[in-house]
Amino acid sequence: MVVDSQLMSFFTAGSLVVIGIFAALFLDNLIKKIIGLAFLADGVNLFIITMGYKPGGIVYIFLPDMVVSNFAQTASYPLPFALVLTNIVIGASTLAVILGLVIILNKRHGSLSASKILRDKGE
Amino acid sequence: MNANALIAVMVILPIASALFLNLLHKKDRTIKILAIITAIVIPIIPLLTPYGSHFFGGYVPLAQNATLAQGLPSLITGTQLFQFHPGVMYVFTSAQQLMVFVLGLITFFAIFTFLNETKRPSGVYAFLMFMGTASVSAILLSDDIFNIFVFFEIAALAQVGIIVASGIKNNYETALKYILLGNIAGPLLLLGIVILLGVTGNVNVTDMIFTFKQGYVDPNSPVILMALALIAFGWLYASGLPPFHTIKSAVYSKALPHGAALLQAFSVFTLVAIGIIILRLFSYNSFTNIAIIGISVIAMILGITMAIVQTDYKRILGYLAVGELGYIGIGLGLGTAFGITAGLFQAVNEAIITSFLFIGFGTVLYKTRTSNTRKLGGMMYVNPKVALLVLLAGLAMAGVPPLNAFQSKLMLIQAAIQSGLPELGIIMILLSIVTFMTFMKAFYTIYMRPKPKELEILDNKIPRSTVISLVALLIICIILGLFPQIATNSLQTLAAGLV
Repeated sequence: MVVDSQLMSFFTAGSLVVIGIFAALFLDNLIKKIIGLAFLADGVNLFIITMGYKPGGIVYIFLPDMVVSNFAQTASYPLPFALVLTNIVIGASTLAVILGLVIILNKRHGSLSASKILRDKGE
Repeated sequence: MNANALIAVMVILPIASALFLNLLHKKDRTIKILAIITAIVIPIIPLLTPYGSHFFGGYVPLAQNATLAQGLPSLITGTQLFQFHPGVMYVFTSAQQLMVFVLGLITFFAIFTFLNETKRPSGVYAFLMFMGTASVSAILLSDDIFNIFVFFEIAALAQVGIIVASGIKNNYETALKYILLGNIAGPLLLLGIVILLGVTGNVNVTDMIFTFKQGYVDPNSPVILMALALIAFGWLYASGLPPFHTIKSAVYSKALPHGAALLQAFSVFTLVAIGIIILRLFSYNSFTNIAIIGISVIAMILGITMAIVQTDYKRILGYLAVGELGYIGIGLGLGTAFGITAGLFQAVNEAIITSFLFIGFGTVLYKTRTSNTRKLGGMMYVNPKVALLVLLAGLAMAGVPPLNAFQSKLMLIQAAIQSGLPELGIIMILLSIVTFMTFMKAFYTIYMRPKPKELEILDNKIPRSTVISLVALLIICIILGLFPQIATNSLQTLAAGLV
């Protein structure tokens, strides 16, 4: 049986998003929560890449010897890839901030348990 | 320089200044001078900028670029590709002018208060304030939904930074909670955006609407509705509407008063900007308006009732601010030109009044180092002038005439009745009364009841700059209350375009 690679990729992206949300919401360990968030971000990135995939498509760089109409019909759509690059940068920055906060809170509370650390004291 | 380039300057200037301030560690005088100059310039730019559009990189639609369009095959010129916007576009109308101006004004008051209340001002803190302002200005101006997402994330990081920099007890915990939720809401918002990109081939909102209107995409398809739900989730997070009302009020309470004044302005204007995008894209579906009204009523009821039981005045203000967001949402959700104008006017008023209250109540923290209402009392005798100003700010929030929120709330009630929903008008009146009671209870506890023996009042004098900021904010409230057309004339064109 031949499985459509794009469909499989969408399925993988969907699975990553669902696992990521589950981990971020329901796991108690902060590091596991962060891994879940990374899954979620990667799932969305994979979804975007898969959406930009064009069977038989060529790289979206117009070279001097190319015919415009041929290029327009065969080149992949570049926008999703630009979006992914930007999102990777944003994801790395936010992840760094989260990890920084977790390091400080781990030092203060001596624990990585979200239920212990994030209890709302209403102050 | 092209006059429309000033539209981009509204975002670029605070970012450039922020990046420079970040480098100025321990150079107090330079930080003060640069921060105050930037804070003065930010509200002035929107007043000098002519209305129009700015295309980043000069990438105008092919239809507007005769040189590039020449010689292109009919495959491009004969299709909608010819009309599409290839680059990021910022749109600047009278409504954006008013909102960016008010945001700039609040930034100015926040920076002004911060610089005068702090002996050794931190360049990093000013960096965070300006980055937040730049991000929210970009969200207000951008017509590119991915660009909005990028600035949505930067604004969230800036807000986390402002909480962390406050040094208030448990601020790190609140910051972590906020950023964890943001890291769920952000990717889901992006997922909604890319679903729209997948079906319309675009991230420009004007182009997406063009695609819907030309019938290239079925706007009622489940995929589009899924995108709406995901974008709405990001919107609720950024604006602090339920289910994010608790974390949003916690965020305000863990920031310093001038930081909280700015943070609530970020929430208000993000609510408006993304709310407008949602209305532009999805208002063909009546469910969108019903959902916005429903969530707004819940926000009003939850925000205002939860404020009653709080014992920290910053938390009280935080919940009241969330409740007031509901009024804005109702205006947007009514979907009529008058209702949307009223909602936008309420947004402008709320941003000003809540800043007024945060800075005003901030003087109590400055004098006592506590925000716990159980430990406070007798503050009326410490500084009666500031007490009077805070009282007037509270009356403005409750919608007492002739102050500004009276006009916007009256407009909202009229809009609800005109739309055949008088029940909403009744809810708004009742909740305004509860807001008034909640505020008066907090005011009495802090200012009017006898001073507890154990309360220590510090010798430090409230800076004159803080009092000047409060008086200026009061004057704006009175002017907008007496002459609401100053704001409504600017907002009604945008509102009419959304119907």
